[in-house]
Amino acid sequence: MANINELIEGFSFGQQQAIVGGSPVPAIANPQIAANIWRQTNLNTKPWAKMPINEDDKAEIGKGHEFATQLFKSHYQNPDFEISKYCSSQFIAWVMAFSLGNTTLSGSAPYTYTTTPALGSAARTLGGVSGVQSLELPYFTHVQQIRPGGSAILDEAKIGCAVRSWKLSIKNSPGRASAMISATCACTGQYVAPSTITLPAATLLNEFNAGTITALSFNGVNYMSGASASNFVSLDASWDNNFRPGYFPGSGNQDGYQIQGRLEFGDRTFSVQYVVRVAAGSPEYGDLIALTTGTSTVTFLRDSNNSFTMLIQKMAFQTAELSNTDGIVTLQITGSQLYDPINGLVTMTTVTPQNGICQ
Amino acid sequence: MDHVFMESPQGDEIKEVEATAAALSPLMSQGWHQVPPPATGKTNISTEEAK
Repeated sequence: MANINELIEGFSFGQQQAIVGGSPVPAIANPQIAANIWRQTNLNTKPWAKMPINEDDKAEIGKGHEFATQLFKSHYQNPDFEISKYCSSQFIAWVMAFSLGNTTLSGSAPYTYTTTPALGSAARTLGGVSGVQSLELPYFTHVQQIRPGGSAILDEAKIGCAVRSWKLSIKNSPGRASAMISATCACTGQYVAPSTITLPAATLLNEFNAGTITALSFNGVNYMSGASASNFVSLDASWDNNFRPGYFPGSGNQDGYQIQGRLEFGDRTFSVQYVVRVAAGSPEYGDLIALTTGTSTVTFLRDSNNSFTMLIQKMAFQTAELSNTDGIVTLQITGSQLYDPINGLVTMTTVTPQNGICQ
Repeated sequence: MDHVFMESPQGDEIKEVEATAAALSPLMSQGWHQVPPPATGKTNISTEEAK
């Protein structure tokens, strides 16, 4: 018996890789080493379950009856796992790098991570090796433990994990809950138990909150100054990689159950919705009617070592619905994020003291 | 200002560019990706200044 508060979790900030011929290459099946694994807290209190699936012979005729007589091992179909946290420079850099796939690292203490959605048709750097063409995103290792040691209740490392989707939310409320990000993660089914990893002390994160936002403009409307200043209520942005099933001939086995051998992105979706107060002359509805497009920017700035900017390269308004938020007349706006032929879809820039994220 | 080396999606060109979103976005959206600094003596390296 154990209390759920005893559950400790960690995951690698570096991506999984193997050394082949003296060079690092991306590796879905190679766990990261302990030195590249963070210990992090999680607002999601549900552990990451393993789910081996069995099948029976119920559908087969020739038994003389319709009932099952035998059970067979089938495959691992682990549920997704959510890492839900308050926004911090370290975690948001990790989420963007692992979910979007094309990251450039520059600077030195602090480090700047510039991330854009990877193009499957274009070569990029994966696992420290450049020139890789792939629909796969970087993989990480996830560790969860309860009383690790000789009589551990839970001690396992899931190998070949990837970020399926994320959700960023900003609210007009006080405290850390005003800026949150959650990442939904998928895994292949491969694991190691016991993990053989000693998790370090929990990483101290440099968190943002909605009060640290210094830039907030959507499609030409600035919500930090001018007529629309202080009209912003909330934002929900999300990304989904829509992974394709990763079972194929040779994808591998764990405990006699088939596992997935790849997690490839499908048709990805990028959604942005936000709510603003309505004032006389509010420009949003007019922009929608006029099919106006423009860049959109959200910037958190905690200090010179910790910041995050989401730059949507070309945004229009899909809908602008008149509504009521806590008694205030508002517009609920759904953005239409367009792929700009020059600058692409979206650029995430994070400055953080943490080195080696997704490297 | 920090600079980084970016390689074209075809792998036939390496370019040294400023590590800013404004400079990187057009390249990364076309499939350019970061590579380690190349060994000196390579001839296919261009810089923003040379453009």
